[in-house]
Amino acid sequence: MLAEKALDLVRELQRSLDGTLPPYNEDKIRQVLEEMQTLFDQNKDKAHFAAEGQTHLLSAIQLRHAAIRRNKRCLLAYLYNRLEQIKKMRWEFSSVLPSDVKYNLCEQEVQWFNQYNRLLANYMRSLGENGGLDLTQDMKPPKALYVLVRCLVDHGEFETQDGTTILLKKNSQHYLMRAECEHLIRQGILEHIVQ
Amino acid sequence: MAAYSVDLSTGNNYFDLNDILASQEKIPCIFNIAVEGLGYLDQSTPDPDIGVGTKLELPLWLAKYLHRDARGIVSVETPKTYREGYRQILAADPSVVDLHRLGPHFYLGGGKLALFNLPDIQDVLKTLLQTFQGRFRRIMDGSQNALHTDLTNQINMLDESERRLFAAGQRGLLEFQSWESRESEKLSTSSVVLNQRKRKWVGACRDSGD
Amino acid sequence: MQADEIEARLLRKTFTLFDFKGLEMLIKDFKRDFYDTLQRQRVLVLVAFDVDALCACKVLQYLFHCDQVVYTVVPVDGLQGLEQAYLENAEGIKHVVLINCGATVDIVELLQPEEHVRFYICDSHRPVDIHNFYNAVQVKLLMREDELSTIPSYDEVFRDDDEESNQSGEESDDPDSGYKKKRFDDESILRRQERRRWNEERVRILFDYTKFTSYGTSVALVMFESAWKLSKDTNSLLWLAIVGVTDQYVHFKTPRDKYMEDIIALQSHVSRHNQRGSDGESLLSVNCLRISFEEELHLNLYRHWTLFDSICHSMPIACKLRLWTLKGQKRLHEFLAEMGLPIVQCKQQFSAMDMTLRSEVKARMQEYMNKYGLENQDIVLPSFSMQFGYRNLLCATDYVLACAATLESLDASSIQTDNFLLASDILQRSNPEKTDTALEAARVQLRSLVSQVQSSLDMHQIISAGPFLYVFVQEGTADSRFFSQPLSLIRLARFTLQAHCSVTRNKKAHSLPLVLGAPLSLDEGTCLIIGIPPLDTDDERKNFFGKAFEQAADSTNMTVKCNGFDSFIIEMRVEDRSKFFDALISILQ
Repeated sequence: MLAEKALDLVRELQRSLDGTLPPYNEDKIRQVLEEMQTLFDQNKDKAHFAAEGQTHLLSAIQLRHAAIRRNKRCLLAYLYNRLEQIKKMRWEFSSVLPSDVKYNLCEQEVQWFNQYNRLLANYMRSLGENGGLDLTQDMKPPKALYVLVRCLVDHGEFETQDGTTILLKKNSQHYLMRAECEHLIRQGILEHIVQ
Repeated sequence: MAAYSVDLSTGNNYFDLNDILASQEKIPCIFNIAVEGLGYLDQSTPDPDIGVGTKLELPLWLAKYLHRDARGIVSVETPKTYREGYRQILAADPSVVDLHRLGPHFYLGGGKLALFNLPDIQDVLKTLLQTFQGRFRRIMDGSQNALHTDLTNQINMLDESERRLFAAGQRGLLEFQSWESRESEKLSTSSVVLNQRKRKWVGACRDSGD
Repeated sequence: MQADEIEARLLRKTFTLFDFKGLEMLIKDFKRDFYDTLQRQRVLVLVAFDVDALCACKVLQYLFHCDQVVYTVVPVDGLQGLEQAYLENAEGIKHVVLINCGATVDIVELLQPEEHVRFYICDSHRPVDIHNFYNAVQVKLLMREDELSTIPSYDEVFRDDDEESNQSGEESDDPDSGYKKKRFDDESILRRQERRRWNEERVRILFDYTKFTSYGTSVALVMFESAWKLSKDTNSLLWLAIVGVTDQYVHFKTPRDKYMEDIIALQSHVSRHNQRGSDGESLLSVNCLRISFEEELHLNLYRHWTLFDSICHSMPIACKLRLWTLKGQKRLHEFLAEMGLPIVQCKQQFSAMDMTLRSEVKARMQEYMNKYGLENQDIVLPSFSMQFGYRNLLCATDYVLACAATLESLDASSIQTDNFLLASDILQRSNPEKTDTALEAARVQLRSLVSQVQSSLDMHQIISAGPFLYVFVQEGTADSRFFSQPLSLIRLARFTLQAHCSVTRNKKAHSLPLVLGAPLSLDEGTCLIIGIPPLDTDDERKNFFGKAFEQAADSTNMTVKCNGFDSFIIEMRVEDRSKFFDALISILQ
């Protein structure tokens, strides 16, 4: 059937959009592009004859054209929805992506992420009077300046804003500035304990 | 968060994955014009071409494209699941029908039929609306009041957009409860990280299992 | 002796730098001396692995949260752990709070901190090391003053005469010339004699002081009272203090008198916090914590078990009736029958028992107990219970057992610090499922404890070595792994001793202490040895085994490890055991 592979891509993305980003399926994309190329080549051949008056070929050309458009839509939707997901991750994790997430991006997506990062950073810097405003902080309204956190993994040393280093060792508990550790909580290194 | 937008419109949402999946639903078509060289679409004959009068189930996106101009390469019929027989079943008691079996994108796909000038399209659309009205109460009830019971049977009978609706309802309930118990104050690990970790863990288990 | 002398001299030098008498080693004003100095500082809190310490830590955490004091909490399981935790987290830290650890060792000597680091020790272990007590600059003690009255006076253990130290300094530097110079110096000879006498006296005083280990007031209670003085006490904190005090009783740290004293103090707090009018409008929501004082049945976990099992696993009544024997079981059946409690009812979950029976159990037991040689003390314990949400009442002793079982969980998938956090969650009360799991773990522990006691008795493994009784937990039995942890080990030793005393014909048994050995690690061939004092000194609960073990180890030149904070529990190699016991016997004779 026509445009079947492109649909696979869409299905694959749809299945995993509830939180993860599946690996960029370069292989499938290549196959879809090849299918489009074949259809396009066939149409180009036939269009030549059709222009010369063989109008009975037009129906086949239209059908193939429909398939090309369908493929294009699927591919674009695939890429677009991935970008949306990547954008969301910028807000979830701060400017550095966890390595296993990054591993699933293609090179262009990494570039896009970096550019988005830069745009966002520039914008945030321009906000407010002095030195900008970090919009990614306090995604939930904070109730207290400090929070109690538990360390879930051996993360190593962590430098706080006042310059002291804290050893984040598994199962140690710390009472820290909320603003400082929010990202570490998002990244699953610390667990927030609500009293 | 985008996961709970429930879009039942037939509006052409170009990048919407659900819309793409719904437009893959099949519709019976009859070819008015022969199509050369594409016989492989009809697996029932070895003929290299599609002849005039061939009956073929085509996906909605393709049918729509071939049908739209006046010349009409194909003419379409109402798909079986939207015909009189099923309409009667749905009219009798919409809440017991397994819509997922009738078509995982029953509403979205049904809505798309409006683009074709089918003779009974008004009845089809009316049925869609009435079916949804008839089923909504149970969906709402199930998602809001039965957090600790196994509702797999009910959920299995829902079409994809109903499932999203159901999930949205349940999520609302959960969030309300976590707000009540002051859980919503808690900063949590990003779901992306959690899922990634889960997959890694499953992967590791599988590797060690092999 | 030489080492002692040099040490004393060194310390004297340090102290003379400061006007020591103007400084307080005890924190008298919690707010001024402790709380206010910690404001806007980063604090490191090191907590020992026991229920009392955990409770105290939670109280302190609450106080810190009130005033946004930034801190780090690290659980430590022994002196090594303490040292390591300090090294890892010391950077940038000026204030260290030690909870239930560190008082019995010279903390400055152990950790070698920089000069600006201050230690605040809140520890129920006694005796307090004299260096901690007299180092008023770096070490502050957070404990009750009247409990430190036995500490030797400063002049008895440290000397202040500079001249002497200079001279003896020269003496040790250059013995030959010094010898010649002072040969005919009468004055100096006299002075040296006097000095020798002082030194001997010092050793004697120190020995007397450190001879017995015991426990002071629960640290959770001390913390709670401090919070109260700051007007920051809440009902939840009060419950933590109750659990801390009960922990001391459950693990035989404090005698019953001391326990009663604390309970009375707590009771006034309880009525202050839980005072409610009888009219409907002042009723609390079910989601509020309610604490009530009760003459609680002293049966372990009976609300979460069957009455029958609970009786069989509670030490006082099980020992009196000798429930591990067939005859004992018969007597128990008789007892239950006489009380009018049908055996079927007693063998189903207590919560499923007939309502009327349930409410009458205590009264009926008290009515018939005398006939079976039971006393009120064996059956009833003044205690507290709490209710939270729609769940069953939980009483303080059960809570302690559940927490202790969680702390010493043997779950292979979790490391020790996981257990600490889990126990901390249980104290938070937020998760009833976790509490249920903990109660189940406590039941499993109790079962294995009783079956261990039974097998020791059945196989006559409790042997008198003359000055003490001893028994070894056999290696490789299914339950032996439970006793590789201090809290369970303490309870096992005590249960064993009590059970033995109740069956033995030896009249002297009551005045004999017990030494119990349990396998620790089969791979490394190590075992734990615990010594507990005889039953007839039960109203003091002073333990002399810390010192005895130390001397026995010294006299045999063995390496024993005392890694926990209780010196009466030591770790040694299995093959050294018999040599160690010979030494111990000759010391105690």
